[in-house]
Amino acid sequence: MSAATTTAAAPVDATRAPRQRPGALAPLRWEVRKLRAQWRGKAVLVGALVLPVIVVVVLHGQSRPPKDTLFGRFATVNGFALALLVLGFAAQWVLPLLTAVVAGDIFASEDQHGTWKTVLTRSTSRGRLFWAKTLTAAGFAVVVLVVLAASTIASSVLIVGHQPLIGLSGQTIPATEALRLVALAWATMLPPMLGFTCLAILLSVWSRNPAVGIAAPVVIGMVMQLVGALGGVEALRPFLLTTPFEAWHGLLAAPHFTGPLTDGLLTSAVWCLMCLGAAYVLLRRRDITGG
Amino acid sequence: MRTNLRRTILVLLAALVALVALGSAVVATHGDTSTVTRPRLERSLTTTFANLYVDQAHLQGRTLTAASLHPAAMCDKAGPANKDVGPGGDWNCLMSWTDPEVPMPPEGYGKFELNVHSNDCYTASGPSKLTGFLTMTDTKGDVVTNPVFEFDGCFDPHGDNTPTGVVFPSLLNVASTTITPDAHGKAGLQVTCGSGDKGCAGTITVTAGNAKLGTMPFHQAEESTATLPLPSAVPTGAKELTFAVHVTTGAGPTSPATLPVQGR
Amino acid sequence: MSDLLAVEAIGVSKTFGSVRAVNDITVRVAAGEVYGVLGPNGAGKTTFLRMLFGLIQPDSGTIRVLGKTWAADGVGVLDGVGGFIESPKFYPYLTGRQNLEGLALLDGGHRPGLLEELLDLVEMSDRADEKVGGYSYGMRQRLGVAASLLREPRLLVLDEPANGLDPAGIRDMRALVKRLANSGLTVLLSSHDMDEVEEICDNVTIMSRGTVAFHGSIAKLRTMAPDPGHLLATTDDNRVLVLAGHHPGLRVVRDPDAALVVTGAKPDVSAYVAALVRADIDLLAFNQTQTPLEALFFMLTDDTTHQTLARPAELTKAFR
Repeated sequence: MSAATTTAAAPVDATRAPRQRPGALAPLRWEVRKLRAQWRGKAVLVGALVLPVIVVVVLHGQSRPPKDTLFGRFATVNGFALALLVLGFAAQWVLPLLTAVVAGDIFASEDQHGTWKTVLTRSTSRGRLFWAKTLTAAGFAVVVLVVLAASTIASSVLIVGHQPLIGLSGQTIPATEALRLVALAWATMLPPMLGFTCLAILLSVWSRNPAVGIAAPVVIGMVMQLVGALGGVEALRPFLLTTPFEAWHGLLAAPHFTGPLTDGLLTSAVWCLMCLGAAYVLLRRRDITGG
Repeated sequence: MRTNLRRTILVLLAALVALVALGSAVVATHGDTSTVTRPRLERSLTTTFANLYVDQAHLQGRTLTAASLHPAAMCDKAGPANKDVGPGGDWNCLMSWTDPEVPMPPEGYGKFELNVHSNDCYTASGPSKLTGFLTMTDTKGDVVTNPVFEFDGCFDPHGDNTPTGVVFPSLLNVASTTITPDAHGKAGLQVTCGSGDKGCAGTITVTAGNAKLGTMPFHQAEESTATLPLPSAVPTGAKELTFAVHVTTGAGPTSPATLPVQGR
Repeated sequence: MSDLLAVEAIGVSKTFGSVRAVNDITVRVAAGEVYGVLGPNGAGKTTFLRMLFGLIQPDSGTIRVLGKTWAADGVGVLDGVGGFIESPKFYPYLTGRQNLEGLALLDGGHRPGLLEELLDLVEMSDRADEKVGGYSYGMRQRLGVAASLLREPRLLVLDEPANGLDPAGIRDMRALVKRLANSGLTVLLSSHDMDEVEEICDNVTIMSRGTVAFHGSIAKLRTMAPDPGHLLATTDDNRVLVLAGHHPGLRVVRDPDAALVVTGAKPDVSAYVAALVRADIDLLAFNQTQTPLEALFFMLTDDTTHQTLARPAELTKAFR
């Protein structure tokens, strides 16, 4: 950096007009840009696209159907049943993991790279950054769920077939209706998955450690799954974030029931709001001493 | 950083413990609030079974409607001493239905065993005498999965919880396969009373050849086993004994049971 | 503009746990001046600068930056402020250029062409499209300067900008800061190096253990400076000590490493050295131990660890 070559650059004009404030979407664009530059998010998306195909092919090749799981009984002969079997499996820990990979990292990675001070000394407030990161993580959750669902349903139907599906009341569901219900069932994963997104965000903000932000929601999800499966503590089930993952059962019954879906929506919303509220307060009040 | 991580994990664990404690408190104050109840199971099981039975009939080339089956079920969890509520693998359901080609046994129902989960779904396996085995041959000659051998169903946790009022009698069965008298000719007969309403009561008449040995009264709770002492000593030289069951409560075998005498 | 203070921090305190990092300090930086915040590591300089940027909430006191406060203006307080705290940090998976573009996005954009200009200024143009993860410490430091200037600040805050750089890097960085200062920018520079501050700054606040030990102009600081000390190595130290008796204004002592340390006003020292030469004593080495301002700095900050560190290397060698 020799002085001689750079005297021409007079970078500062003390009399210029006040700077323009960034638009509300600027931090969101920045977060999306960063996410797209990291291999992590792309790897998750590729995994969500490819892994279901492998799982479908492997399950299709099994001689004995995995009948200890809902819809496992006909999974090797019915594409819709297979797509629902994968759904049941994904809800156990895959969906929390997929969203936590980004949501659990998005705040803590600023601590990891020491970049809080870098972004917070620009003209964007902590509140704006918080919402930009939250929206980015939520948007990623939506995208990864759509990719996973589309890949699973498409590969199941194409590889195993689109025979009429036997529902959870023993009723026979014609193929077109079955396709609609299976897609709808996958769509009902979104509220609890976003609940886990919010949980991962809280853990990311609080722990300041990406490993905790990613792993802890998965572990907590599995603990909740376990508690929810226990007899005798069913009074807890409505409060668990994993319960909404099973609300889709009602769609496949006849007559179908939606009570668990509305309950699940409420549960997910309460979890999400509480986690985000706590995360927001933590971030706003925090002293950035590191980096 | 390392100590930070340890602190983080400790706090997480503490939070989990606190949540479990809070949860226990919720459970303790709310008591028995399981959505798995007898009426819901009875309604769901009959609907699901009827639909699948129609499928099975269809595979056999028969045409039935679910409504024509008039299915009725009575469910029970873990015997008379327990409340019929909550998930578990110890649910039994007695179910009757109407199919002219597959008549019900004399007691009027078949017994299904259910494993009910806390998520309001269950797996039921039927009595193979009535519902067939794991696989079956369809009209085209293909071996296919029998839809009613074992099946899954789910019910609405907010669904109708008023009792269905369906009641079936308990079935008394002679469990012994032989009679083994002691040195004095005394012997006992093991009988079981299956699940059902009000248990089993009545008399069993014992005969050896043409000689009537007497009658044994019985009075048993459902899902219990008892050994009834024979009314008199087994005559020397008797090779077999015949037991005729007459029930006043519950159901029993319609034909007498003949058991060989051993050890003399 | 002229009567507006660029920085006005009054009675600012901050405690972390049981450690009072900053204790009731008051700093006023006029617009257009180059101001130094000087102190040894751990004196509270960085905590103070972090509070300036709103990274840390002060426990008490008010901070006004270019007339704005966090309470009234929120993040608007940073309008017109650029800089970095400690070593600048960037996203390692983005290139230098992508990092700057992203930060400009958070600023609401930058003047067209400025980014290239600044990359040129810090001599990073040819490396700007490499991932920051592969940058050296000095390159990140230079990128940090570019990132700060990208905001076209009126107040530039630099926290130990030369820290961790090699001697050439330090020279270049100081030259750059000087040039920026000459362009009319208000510069707030923190340093633990008296030389750096003396060379660049008009006014200075010296911090020690969270409190202000001195504030005022460099000129005023110079008047307070103690007499310089000199290390002396001769062929006959005993006679040197005896001769010292004839120079009452001087203090000559034998230091723990067997060298002689001469302390006194410059004319007295000169006269003394002349006397030694006349007495046929050969001077093997004669070196200033510390600049007067350095000595003052260590006195003010009560930093005993630095007192004898300024011994020139060649002199130490001569005594082995």
